Amino acid sequence: MAPSATPDSSSSSPTSDNRENNLQPFFVLHKALPRKSERKATGPVKTRRKIDLSPASPKSSEKSKADRIEEYEDCHYKPLRIEAFDLVWSRIETSIQDVLRDINNNVFNEIHHWVSESFTAIRSFERPNSSKVNRLYPIVTDISCKQLFTGLVFTKNVEFVDDLLTFEELGLHLKSHGCHVANLSSLEFSAKNGIGGCLKSLLRQFVRVTPDAADIAILASWYSERENCDNPLVVIIDDLERCNGSVLAEFLLMLSEWVVSIPIILIMGVATTVDAPRNILPSNALQRLCPCKFTLGSPAERMDAIIKGVLLKPCFGFNVGYKVAGFLRNYFLRQDGTLTSFIRALKIACVKHFLAEPLSFLLEGILDEDSHYFWSEKCALLPEVMLKSAFDLPSCKRDKMAEQTGENLANGLSELKRLRKNWISAVLCLYEAGKCHKIQLLDIFCEALDPDFFNKRASDHQSGLGLRKGGFICQAVRKVRDLPVARLCQLIKIWEKNTDGITEIHSKVKELLSMLKFEDNDKSLKQDLSHTSKRPTSRSHLYKDKGTKAVNEKAAILLECMVRDYLQPIECTPFHEIICFSNVDILQSALIGDPRRTIQVDLLKSHNYLQCSCCSKSNNSLLPSMHDTSIMYTLAQEHGDLINLHDWYQSFKGTITCPTIKGKHKMKQSPLSKKRKTNESPDISEASIQARFCRAVTELQITGLLRMPSKRRPDCVQRVAFGL
Amino acid sequence: MDKEGTPPIPKRTTRSSSSITPSKNAAKPPKTSDPYPPSTLNDLIFGQPISLDSLLSNFPGRRIQILELLRLLGPPNSPLLPLFIYGGSSTGKTSIVLQIFRHLNRPFVYSSCRTCYNPRILFESTLNQLLLHRRKVVNGYSSAKRCERPADFVNYLREALNDVLTNLKGHLRKSSSEKLEERGNGRMIYLIFDNVELVREWDKSSGITHLLFELYDILKMPEVGLIFISSTSPDTYYSSAGVVEPIPVLFPDYTEDVLCQIFMRNQANPKLYSSFLDVILRPFCRITRRVDELSTAFSPLFKKYCEPLSDLGVVPSEDMKRRLFCHLQPHIAASLNEIFKFESQPSLEAEANKEKFTRKCNMRKVEGGEAFDEMDFHISTSAKYLLISAFLASRNPATLDASLFDSTGGSDNRKRRRKSSGKSIEQKESAEQELLMKGPGSFPLERLLAIFQCITSVAEGSLEEDQQEDGGLGAEGGDIGLMSDVLLQLSTLCNANFISKGGSCPLEGSTRYRSTVGEEMALKNSIWCLRSLMAKPSFSIVHSYLTGTLQKLISRFENDCHILGNWLTESFDCYVIVQI
Repeated sequence: MAPSATPDSSSSSPTSDNRENNLQPFFVLHKALPRKSERKATGPVKTRRKIDLSPASPKSSEKSKADRIEEYEDCHYKPLRIEAFDLVWSRIETSIQDVLRDINNNVFNEIHHWVSESFTAIRSFERPNSSKVNRLYPIVTDISCKQLFTGLVFTKNVEFVDDLLTFEELGLHLKSHGCHVANLSSLEFSAKNGIGGCLKSLLRQFVRVTPDAADIAILASWYSERENCDNPLVVIIDDLERCNGSVLAEFLLMLSEWVVSIPIILIMGVATTVDAPRNILPSNALQRLCPCKFTLGSPAERMDAIIKGVLLKPCFGFNVGYKVAGFLRNYFLRQDGTLTSFIRALKIACVKHFLAEPLSFLLEGILDEDSHYFWSEKCALLPEVMLKSAFDLPSCKRDKMAEQTGENLANGLSELKRLRKNWISAVLCLYEAGKCHKIQLLDIFCEALDPDFFNKRASDHQSGLGLRKGGFICQAVRKVRDLPVARLCQLIKIWEKNTDGITEIHSKVKELLSMLKFEDNDKSLKQDLSHTSKRPTSRSHLYKDKGTKAVNEKAAILLECMVRDYLQPIECTPFHEIICFSNVDILQSALIGDPRRTIQVDLLKSHNYLQCSCCSKSNNSLLPSMHDTSIMYTLAQEHGDLINLHDWYQSFKGTITCPTIKGKHKMKQSPLSKKRKTNESPDISEASIQARFCRAVTELQITGLLRMPSKRRPDCVQRVAFGL
Repeated sequence: MDKEGTPPIPKRTTRSSSSITPSKNAAKPPKTSDPYPPSTLNDLIFGQPISLDSLLSNFPGRRIQILELLRLLGPPNSPLLPLFIYGGSSTGKTSIVLQIFRHLNRPFVYSSCRTCYNPRILFESTLNQLLLHRRKVVNGYSSAKRCERPADFVNYLREALNDVLTNLKGHLRKSSSEKLEERGNGRMIYLIFDNVELVREWDKSSGITHLLFELYDILKMPEVGLIFISSTSPDTYYSSAGVVEPIPVLFPDYTEDVLCQIFMRNQANPKLYSSFLDVILRPFCRITRRVDELSTAFSPLFKKYCEPLSDLGVVPSEDMKRRLFCHLQPHIAASLNEIFKFESQPSLEAEANKEKFTRKCNMRKVEGGEAFDEMDFHISTSAKYLLISAFLASRNPATLDASLFDSTGGSDNRKRRRKSSGKSIEQKESAEQELLMKGPGSFPLERLLAIFQCITSVAEGSLEEDQQEDGGLGAEGGDIGLMSDVLLQLSTLCNANFISKGGSCPLEGSTRYRSTVGEEMALKNSIWCLRSLMAKPSFSIVHSYLTGTLQKLISRFENDCHILGNWLTESFDCYVIVQI
């Protein structure tokens, strides 16, 4: 129905309509006709029925059974699931925090060490006596005393979101060691606020006063007070790149004048390269800095640590499927690159999982010490509907479980847990092997989750490993072959720890280790021998090489064996749906809005959204009943960058007044609207067409798809958005 | 205003009257429970006067200026016309003035316009000093008077000066019999304003500079001396006639000899250091004569210089000097261009440090090409592509875009270009030179997005193929179009100062951007792009352009650094082979 016919039948319940469909601006302009079938069904009580309609209504009959389960478990198991979510997520969150803290700890300690060193260095210049502190003239004339000790902390990530937290924690760390700390954000160094803004914030944090005029002399007299003067003042600026250069420079110059009476030590976060301070600051400010460089862990390292600490811990129940993992990886590498969004995505996944999966409360069992006991207890109490739904899970159907009892479910879950533990051990071993060659855990993790890969491996046993060529796992295995002895020894020791749970492999690893040790002794013995005989023979070298090569080979074979036998992705195990989240679409829509593209798609295929009977019949052809903006945008596709307004208007007019299509189309419509349409269509005035045209153009401009005519080309508008 | 102003006055009088007795206390840190010694007039004096000889010897090469200043200041109690001391930065103006007052032992008030960054703070801090006010917890760290307008300032200033002067007279009378040197000499008080040149920038139209220069006329107090210190010459200030013009005193830049004397002060091993200075001072003097810049440059160089020596007390022989020079020589040129150097914690020094110590070192040290093909910080793929498209948009004239990124296919394009390049290499070179001189151009957002899309449409294809090779690592469900969230990436790049947001174009009225990425960065980035796009059949157009940039960059880098150049040409060759 054309928008011109707004005061029609549906106007009786516009508000309820809006609420019901959660309409977005575009919908409001063009209300859909209720679908024919519904209309027939509704009959006289139209408005009331409309409110009842939910978007999923056509499927309601099929879903009724599922609904019953839902209803049932809503009252009983929903609280359980929420409880389980809280438990799982709080565990994950705290362990993420721990992991990140551990990563930063080394650097933080180094920074603290440097801060105290710098402080003693400043103090060694000339200890100002308290009577002089209040004086405003520079006390010392030596130039080296004007230097500001500056720690440049390289965050190694262009996005600074992750580092906000890091710097906050750094502040807390230094505070706990007795420093006075102020965190300044880069926003405080804006040209608008000038230097007063950052000084004010400095005073607020150190002195805890907010004077009308922020004078640094206040800080000096505060610092000269007895209880303050024995600790360094640390000022942390989180992102150097985003600061206004001139304000920062002025700030630095001022601080450097005062550095003797106020021993301020700066810590600045640098996101990009060593050139950043050079690019931002003028030379007179630069030479006041006495820089020292610190480097935080790169995002990739942190990511690996988080995966190792969270997703690869047997005691955390929550898992992600292959596609989800791939999505997270791609999102991290290609789009965002921050841990913050990774963690957020993980949380969304976690929430969605517990919301969608009725049995997910069983996940809590993995966290338990004696999970089998937990499961058998819970599963025994499960009602039949739930049990059935558990055994109806696709992963289970595949395996054709014998009996649908709670006991079987509990056993299945325990088996799942065991398999997962083995899988984790294998992944960690692979990671350790690939580590020396900078293969990232994230990559191995994703590849190891691939179910197809496992299935392929399972299907053709005879063709060896069936490892994907060029895959990360394959690389890792290959690298083992040419490791030097010392590294190999280290590696195998780590393996020994990792494979604790798998007795078979564990014993093999031990065997390898003893072999290596024996060889070590052997070698030293040989060396001694050769020393005594003063004749280092080439033969002994050869032998030695051969020996280590053999060990390398054995290690590689062992690793291959691990991959073959234990690297069973979680999605290949029965009941994995209970603990594993694999719905990538939810995550994608939550994380990537992609608004421009969506707008364009929606405009071009508006009936997909509106689902009105009038437009859905024709696939691609333009109908006058379509929404104006949609028509206009479709017409615009035929033009190039520049759209001639006149042509555009003419074709628009032609489309909406086209009688033939309209008439044909009308016949199919419900009699009610048909009557109105036929009455109206002939007398669409030129003025109203122009008005509609203008409105559509404005809408396109608002959505950012068009640019209004420029002075140079008043007769043309320009298309701004490109392609889909 | 008045209400606020009146209460401190009785306080002040009590303070100054009580100040006579504990005068000695003020010099030492107090050991009593009260951390604040009462403020006295002593606070206006530098303390511990020095002799003229030590003053002169402390400042080599400044004898004329010091004597001139002393002459102008005259004997105690002689009135002073305003002084205007000027000269380049780091020529000793402030230090010498302060030390002269230390020598003369006269009271003064010092306000630096750098610290006092707006009129109000300047006024208040001057008044605080005059009123002997101290900020502390008790008074909420507030200043003595709230003073924002110049008129208020003049009034308060007159009041405060009168009080101080009567106090000074009182002291003189009382202390004339006994310890004269304890008090300041004379009945004069001097106001010193440092960094006056900054005042001009506060508010272009406000008359603070006028106020300061007219202060002498306004106050009409012969006992007040005004001294202005500025790094710009007096011509840059005066505009109004009828004001008593300050007496200018110029502090010229140091000569090389004087610099030598300055650096020779307080050296542990003068012989060694003088041999060091012989080598280093001349080349550096050609660049700068500022003592602060030189001394920051010299200290690491001297460390380098001493590196081969085991005993720092050694007196160098000619032969040793030569060897030391040879050791130092490669570092001189590098540090001539560097103003900013890094020192890492020794504990951090492991491998990361070696890799990227400074750019210069990096170029010299790196043997293979590993350090070049990756940027040493994380940047997402789509941001990388955006960066390279911004670079292209900034360095290329917009007219080239159509031919580079035309969708008609690469083959005929390439032919065309070959012909033209054969014809007019010279023209091209001159155009290139011109581009270089102009620097990066600005571009509208749409152009950036268009180029970005051209590149990514190739890149996305390549990514898909990569994924097929990988066995579809996250191909289906997890595939994300690079085009989405572009604006977010753009703002990230803007934040990182890789792209700067320019003013809007007057004709079109939309924001324009400019890529401020250095060539080295662009080089790394384009190498990365090439790698990721390599082995794609469909990428010829973009590639031919990228290689163009590469070639340019290579030729520019070849002069600088051969290793890098060689490595680049190699990789370029192999790339060309791949392409063919």
